Amino acid sequence: MNLTQRLKLFLRKPHNVILVVLFAVLMVLTFLPLISIIMDTFTVHTSEVMRIRGTHAGDFTLYHWRKVLADGENSMSIFYKPLLNTIAISLATCAIGISVGGAFAWLITRTNLKFKALLSALFVIPYIMPAWTLGLAWLNFFRNSLVGGVPGLFTVLTGITTPNWFAYGFFPISVVQGLHYAPFAYILIGGILKNMDANLEEAAQLLHATRWQILQRITLPMVKPAILSTFLLAFSSSMSAFAVPAFLGMPVRYQVLTTQMYRTLQGLNPGYGYLMALILILIGVSIMLINQKVLDNRKAYTTITGKSSNVALFNLRGLKTPLSYCLVVALLCVTIVPLLTFAIESFIVEPGNYSLSNFSTVFWTGEGAVDIANGEPGILRNRSVYNGLYNSVILSLVCAFFAGTIGILAGYAIARKKGTWLSEAVNHLTFFPYLLPSMAMGAIYLSVFAVPHGPIPALYGTFAVLALIGTVKYLPFATKSGINAMLQLGGQIEEAALIMGVGWWKRMTRIIIPIQKTSFLSGYLLPYISCMRELSLFILLISPSTAVLTTMLFQYNEKGWNQYANAINLLIVVVVLLSNYIINKLTGASIDKGIG
Amino acid sequence: MPEIILKNVTKMYGKSAAVDHLNLNIPDHSFITLLGPSGCGKTTTLRMIAGLETPTSGEISIGGQVVFSSEQGIDVPPEKRNVGFLFQNYALWPHMTVFENIAFGLENLKWPKDKIQERAALLMKMLKITEYGERYPAELSGGQQQRVAIARTLATGPKTLFMDEPLSNLDAKLRMEMRTELKRLHMETDSTFVYVTHDQLEAMTLSTRICLIKEGLLQQYAPPLTVYNEPANTFVADFIGSPNINLLPVKIQSVAGSKAVLELNGNTLQFSSAQLLTLQPGQAAILGIRPENVILDPNGELTAQIYSTLPSGMETVVRLKLDGMNITEVVFGSVDFKVNEEVHIKVKSDKNLLFADDKEGKVLAQGSIY
Repeated sequence: MNLTQRLKLFLRKPHNVILVVLFAVLMVLTFLPLISIIMDTFTVHTSEVMRIRGTHAGDFTLYHWRKVLADGENSMSIFYKPLLNTIAISLATCAIGISVGGAFAWLITRTNLKFKALLSALFVIPYIMPAWTLGLAWLNFFRNSLVGGVPGLFTVLTGITTPNWFAYGFFPISVVQGLHYAPFAYILIGGILKNMDANLEEAAQLLHATRWQILQRITLPMVKPAILSTFLLAFSSSMSAFAVPAFLGMPVRYQVLTTQMYRTLQGLNPGYGYLMALILILIGVSIMLINQKVLDNRKAYTTITGKSSNVALFNLRGLKTPLSYCLVVALLCVTIVPLLTFAIESFIVEPGNYSLSNFSTVFWTGEGAVDIANGEPGILRNRSVYNGLYNSVILSLVCAFFAGTIGILAGYAIARKKGTWLSEAVNHLTFFPYLLPSMAMGAIYLSVFAVPHGPIPALYGTFAVLALIGTVKYLPFATKSGINAMLQLGGQIEEAALIMGVGWWKRMTRIIIPIQKTSFLSGYLLPYISCMRELSLFILLISPSTAVLTTMLFQYNEKGWNQYANAINLLIVVVVLLSNYIINKLTGASIDKGIG
Repeated sequence: MPEIILKNVTKMYGKSAAVDHLNLNIPDHSFITLLGPSGCGKTTTLRMIAGLETPTSGEISIGGQVVFSSEQGIDVPPEKRNVGFLFQNYALWPHMTVFENIAFGLENLKWPKDKIQERAALLMKMLKITEYGERYPAELSGGQQQRVAIARTLATGPKTLFMDEPLSNLDAKLRMEMRTELKRLHMETDSTFVYVTHDQLEAMTLSTRICLIKEGLLQQYAPPLTVYNEPANTFVADFIGSPNINLLPVKIQSVAGSKAVLELNGNTLQFSSAQLLTLQPGQAAILGIRPENVILDPNGELTAQIYSTLPSGMETVVRLKLDGMNITEVVFGSVDFKVNEEVHIKVKSDKNLLFADDKEGKVLAQGSIY
C-alpha cells in the first residue's frame, strides 16, 4: 500500500477527519498565538515609541522585560507587588473555598442536618451567579466614605464606618472569591463523600477506630484528590479573576496582575501587559503540571462493585435545629440579599440616602436628565442596554453552539481513537484554553487579530473575534463532557449500527446523540452560561458596538454610575439564573452538575 | 465464648419488613450461612448483628452479652462488639499499603509497634501475601485483595467473623480455592463464622448450618444435608441443589395408610412412605424429585424424549420432555445421548417429596415412587 492509499483509507473514517481538522484549527487558534504574544513582549508598540527613545514601532526591544522584571522600585510596583497580591488572594480564596465547601459537604452528607435539599440548592447559587455579584453586594453593604463616595447600607443602618481593610482590597476579595468557589468544593468533595463506599468507614469502625480517627485517617485522605482539584481550579481561576479585584481593589489601588494587565494594555504600555499575560499563562501551565505530579496513581480507587449502604449519620443532637436555621439564614444572606441590594441601589436617586422619598424608577425607566449621569436614559429605555443584552444573548448562543458542537465531535473522535498520538494531541489542545487566564487570552487575541493575517482580516472590534475567543475558551468544558459521554457509551453501541451498514451521520444523529442527550446538552449549557457572565475574556476586545452586558456593567461601575451598574448586574444575574433554571427543567442539565 | 442469639429481630424500611421476626441461635464455633435470593434480608441481618444497622425491634446477644435490645434500649456500637467483618467489595483503604491496612486495627487498640509488626507479619505469612506488604490495594489482583481483607479482619483476633458474600467478586477457579481456604481458616481460628451468600453451592459446601431466608422470613435452619434431603417447603427445595429439583404438579387419586396413588399428567405413580399419610383423595400436590433420582431404565414405565444434554465429563445433565412437562435428570459418568431419542425412565430413592400445592408449599410427605 502506498502513502496516498493509506492516507485515503485514514481519511475515510470520520473521526480521523475530525481529529485532523481540529488539530490544524486549534494549533492556529491556541498554540500559534502564544508565539505571537511572546514576540509582543520583545516588540516596541506604537504607543510606546515616545517612551522608548530612538525606536520605531515594531523594533526589537528588551525594554519590557527589563522594566517589568528588573527595574528595582518600578518593577516592584508594576509587577512584583501585584504578583504577590495575586498569589496571596489566590491562596486565601482556596483556603476559604475549600474549608467552607468541605465543611458544608460533610454537614450535608454525613450529619442529620435539616432542610438538606434547600440548603444544597441555595449553596450552589453563588457559583451559578457571576463571581462579581457578591463583590458588588459587598460594596453596596460595606463601602465607606474614607476613599470618597457615599457609605453603604451597613454604615447607614448601624452608623459604624467600615475600616478600609474590611471594605476594600485583600480581605473582601478573598472572602468573595472564596464564597464563589466554595460551591465548587462542595460539589466535588460532596460528590466523593456521597459516592464513597460506606464500607470503607464501617471497616474502620469495626476495627475500633473512633470517629475522629476515621475522619482523619480514612475520610480526609479519600477526599484529598477532590480537594486538590478544587485547589487547582480555584487557584488558577482566582489568579486570572479580574472583575472582583477590579471592583473591590480599585478604590484603594490594590492591584493584582489582571488589573495591572488591563491598565497597561489599555494604556501606554501594552508590552508590559503582554509580558504579564505570558507570566500568568506560565503559572497556569505549571500548576497543572504540578497537579499531575502530585496525584498518585498507585493509590487509585479500586472500583469493585458491591452494595454500598448508607453510612450512619452523625447526630448533631442539640445543635441540629439552630445550626440548620443559621445555615439557611447565612445562605440567604449570600444569595437573595445581594440581589435585593442591587434592586434597592438601582432605585435610589442620591446614593447613600435610603429614605423612602429618595426612591425612584428613574434609572430604570427615566428618559435621561442632564443632571443625572450625562443624560443616560434608564436602562429599560436605553438603546445601548438593549444592544448589550442582545449582544450578550447572541454571543452566548453562538459560542455555546460552536463550542458545544465541536465538543461533541471532538469528544467522539478523541474517545474513538483513544491512545493514539493524534487523539492525545487534540485532547491536550482542546484543554489548553482552560490553562490560559481569560484576560491573558484576551490579550493574545488582541495582539493577533489587531492586524490582518493573509486571508483573515483584522478582527479587532468585531463580533467575530468575540465569538471566536468565546468558542475556544469554553471548548474544554464542552469537550470534557463530550469525551465523558462517549467513553461512558463505549464503542460497541456504534459498532452494532456500523455492522448493519448505517452511515456515520445517521449513527451520530439517531444513536449516539439521542442516548447521551443530557451530557451533550450540558456541553452546550456550560459555554452558554459561562459566556453570559464573562467579563475578563471580552473586556480587552469589545468596541462600543459590540459591548455586552458584562462589559457595560464594568464601564458603568468605573464611571461611578452605581445605580446603572446595579440595575445591569441584576439583569445579568436574572438572565443567568433563569437560563439555568429553564434548561435544567427542560433537560435535566445544570451548570452545578457538570463543571470541572 | 460467643454464642449469638437473635430474638424476634425485625427491621422495617418504611412499611416493608426487610427482616421479619427472626429467631436464630448461632452456636459457638459454628459456620453459619445466611442464604437466600438477593434482597431477602440476609445482609441486613448480618449488619444488624455486627451493629452497622439498627434493628427496629428485637434483641441480639453475643456471647451472653446483650448488644441490642429495643425493650431495654441497649445498642452497643460496632467497635465495642469485638466482631470481624469481611465486606463483599473488601473495602480496603486505597490510600494505605497492605501492611498499613492490616496494622490499622491494631494501632487503634494501641498495640506497641514491634507487636504490630510481628502480628501483621504472621497474618501475611498465613495468607501468603508477605511479598505485597508495601503495595497499594489497586496494585493487587482480586484474590490478593481478598486475602488482605481477611488478614485485616483477623488481625485484631475477633471471636466472631462476619462475611458478606466475600467470594462473589472472584472468578470461578479462585472462588473454589478460597472456599477451601475459608474452611481451613474456620478450623484454625477456632471462631464463629457467619457467612452471607446467595450461592447455594457455597452454603452447602462450607457451612455447619444453613439459614435460608426469603423476603425477610426464615424458611429453614438446619445442617446442609438436612436442608437438601428434607426441605421444609417448595421454596427451599427449589433453592437448594443444582440442577434444580423437579417440581411436578400431581393429583392424589387414592390414599391407603402409608401408600397413595398419584396421577401425573395422565400417568399413574405409586407413592409409598414410611409414615402414615394425611393426604385427601382428589387433593392437588407438588411432587419433588431430585434430578439424580430420575434414572434411565429400559423397564421404566414412563416414556420421555430427550430434549437436550449437557455433558460435563463427570456427569451429564439431561433435560427430558414427558407429556409436555420438563424433567431434569443427572446421569453420572462420561456419557452422552442423542437429542429427540425416546427413553424410559424410573424414579429411585425414598427421598422423593410431596408438597402442598399452595403459596407456602409445605412438605407433606417423603417416600419412594414405583
